[in-house]
Amino acid sequence: MLRCSPSIHPGSRLFSTTPAFLANPIKAKRPDPNSSGPQKGVKSLKIKKKNTLRSAGRPPAPGERKALRKRIVLSNTNALEVKGMQDLSNDNMADKQIQGTVVGLPGPLVDQLRAAEAFRTGQGWGLFRRPGVLMRENSLEIARDLQDVVSGKKTLRRIYTGERGSGKSVVLLQAIAMAFLKDWVVVTIPEASQNRIAQDLTNAHTEYAPLSSSTTTPSQYVQRAYTASLLSRISKANSAVLSDLKVSLSHKLRIPIQPGTSLSHLADLGVRDPDIAWPIFQALWGELTSTKAARPPIMLTLDGLGHIMRDSQYRDPAFKPIHAHDLTIARHFVDHLSGVRSLPNGGAVLAATSASNVPFAPSLALAIDQRLHPTTSASSPSPSSSSSLSSSQQMPVWRKPVQRNPFMTYDERVLQSITPDLEIVELQGLTREEARGLMEYYAASGMLRHRVDESFVTEKWTIAGGGIVGEIEKASVMGPRV
Amino acid sequence: MPPRLNLLRSARTAFTRSTPSLASRAVAPCVFRCVPAREHSDSEKPQHKPNGPSREVPPHVTEEAVALGKAYGEGGPEIEQGTPVQEILKRDPKSLEKAPQVIREELGQNTGGKGRVASSTLEALDETEVMAPGHNYPLPELPLASNLNLKHRYDPIVQLVTSLMMKDGKLSVAQRNMSLILQHLRTSPPPSLNPERPLLPSAPPPSHLPLNPTLYLMLAIDSVAPLLRIRAQRGAAGGGVALQIPVPLGLRQRRRRAVEWLLEAASKRRSRGSGKGGFAQRVAEEIIAVVEGKSTVWDKRGAVHKLGVSARANINFGRRR
Repeated sequence: MLRCSPSIHPGSRLFSTTPAFLANPIKAKRPDPNSSGPQKGVKSLKIKKKNTLRSAGRPPAPGERKALRKRIVLSNTNALEVKGMQDLSNDNMADKQIQGTVVGLPGPLVDQLRAAEAFRTGQGWGLFRRPGVLMRENSLEIARDLQDVVSGKKTLRRIYTGERGSGKSVVLLQAIAMAFLKDWVVVTIPEASQNRIAQDLTNAHTEYAPLSSSTTTPSQYVQRAYTASLLSRISKANSAVLSDLKVSLSHKLRIPIQPGTSLSHLADLGVRDPDIAWPIFQALWGELTSTKAARPPIMLTLDGLGHIMRDSQYRDPAFKPIHAHDLTIARHFVDHLSGVRSLPNGGAVLAATSASNVPFAPSLALAIDQRLHPTTSASSPSPSSSSSLSSSQQMPVWRKPVQRNPFMTYDERVLQSITPDLEIVELQGLTREEARGLMEYYAASGMLRHRVDESFVTEKWTIAGGGIVGEIEKASVMGPRV
Repeated sequence: MPPRLNLLRSARTAFTRSTPSLASRAVAPCVFRCVPAREHSDSEKPQHKPNGPSREVPPHVTEEAVALGKAYGEGGPEIEQGTPVQEILKRDPKSLEKAPQVIREELGQNTGGKGRVASSTLEALDETEVMAPGHNYPLPELPLASNLNLKHRYDPIVQLVTSLMMKDGKLSVAQRNMSLILQHLRTSPPPSLNPERPLLPSAPPPSHLPLNPTLYLMLAIDSVAPLLRIRAQRGAAGGGVALQIPVPLGLRQRRRRAVEWLLEAASKRRSRGSGKGGFAQRVAEEIIAVVEGKSTVWDKRGAVHKLGVSARANINFGRRR
């Protein structure tokens, strides 16, 4: 706003091209005695801001606090060494004798499992001297199945499901450990990892781009950074096996591949340059599944299946959600899980659902429910589900037949991906013998300060909802009553 | 207006009370053991051994069994000769029949040789069913252990700390924090003690602490627990000045003060990680700092004790001579 400056002579006016401002000049504002604002020279109430606690030290570096939260500790030097604990090995993994005992994981295997990001936080590894796993019925079952795979060059395709704390991820870890011991190539898509989180495959935390070579509708999307991290995981965890395997096929890549290059080096090329990570991954997979050279079986695992069985958080150019199956890595896994693509050299495709970090995936839940409780034989338990109680002890339970909710929209792509020949295993609680073996291990490690006798085992087994292993752990070593 | 006559009311007073009156309840024995306050005029040597700042340490299991056996009129284990139980059972097969169930089970296991029962648990339960006809499960041994009550299933000190940590009535959050604290104590290296800040006289060596986190927690709390508080009696010192009077505290009161100080000091610590377990980690670090003598809680305790000593002349204020 233009304001006239006070003139020297009250009658005269300064020259200005703007219209003359005829009104008297505005006087300086007098403080209004009724106004609520503070007045000059008058003391008013001042409320000091609260002293916020300012720490003197340096603030944590970006990612430091998260790294501390996601840290995986695999040893407790205070815990006692368990005498006579066997190590998991090729010889004893399917041995009926070790059912119900805890076996240790040998050191090099632990490094491999760590590189494959098979361990998760909150699994209680940090309480014991060294990582050990309980060999339960399902562990021996998977060991036997892996042997069959080797002998018959079959592909084992299976989903582990079950309630929270029932040991799905640990059974998956055991399968991965056994595959490492058998010198398989293991490709893991973990549910939660240090750098690439969980849902990271689908939660739009990593960059994505449409796949230029795809001509299908809907179009495919590739996640270059995630693919590079996947390749790095493959290369680190399987370095011993992959460095012995040489490139046998000819690949059309942007960078030339020498004929004698090892597959480990091939994977590292993709790690170094995320732009070509996806073509490298395809080339690596082609090498691993080629029948021209001798290739080991492959294990492909994914934890947290629900995340890839629904729309992802990514958006297409029309701002419609991209289905998770249109992301190349998720598509790769689902194709192998449902049997659309096969593993000619044999192998296993294993997935586990998650019950603690559950995405809303009603189609997957419906597909699993329909398979576990088929309407045709509603009263009898499904043959694939393994139960801790024998059938003679189990009461016939009438179940409401699993039907589609008419008010829910289901995803047909997801329903079709759960094919009838895909095996679904619902993990139940431990038997009491297995629970006893686990508790004896706790006690021998010095973590459980109680006599492990029949009544104690039965008590904890019952408190744990019939031997749910996570709850047994909570009740006996993790809780406030130790 | 005529006075209202209520015949019913007078009749009602004639009924006897079925529940005991408050007065009769008041004579019930005090549950919490209090630390005996010693007057300055009392003799230096206490009449009976004081309980110390912690709860009385129970005797060894064997000694307890001897006392129990004595009370029941049985022999109990022979501790003088140091004879192993197995030897006694071997030379006296009759005693095997009367031996407790657990010992018999253990002997049965040892013959199995694997340390793990081969037969199924259900079968074992069936055997015991025969032992106690009319019951689905064997009867518990009496008297029941103190922690077999649902309301008292946690250790008293664990329960105290949990409830003091609780905010907004969220007990399960406090319990999770408590278990995180105990886990942190178990996984952190054994504390290095500071001779300047002595712990309880009966404290076990520091290497034993991580494997017994409840004891670790109790040791930290009981070691810094103040023996007294200062009551300010207004105007009693003359001229409107408050008179500082030291007042002895009971066991639970002492622990409560120590835990409050501990939690206050922990909340002032800087959180290193992020996520849910941050506070629990800070509390656990503070507990370790207390045992190592680094915590500021020790200074608080020292200040209260110093004030108590300087105001010791006021102890008998207001008491009848």
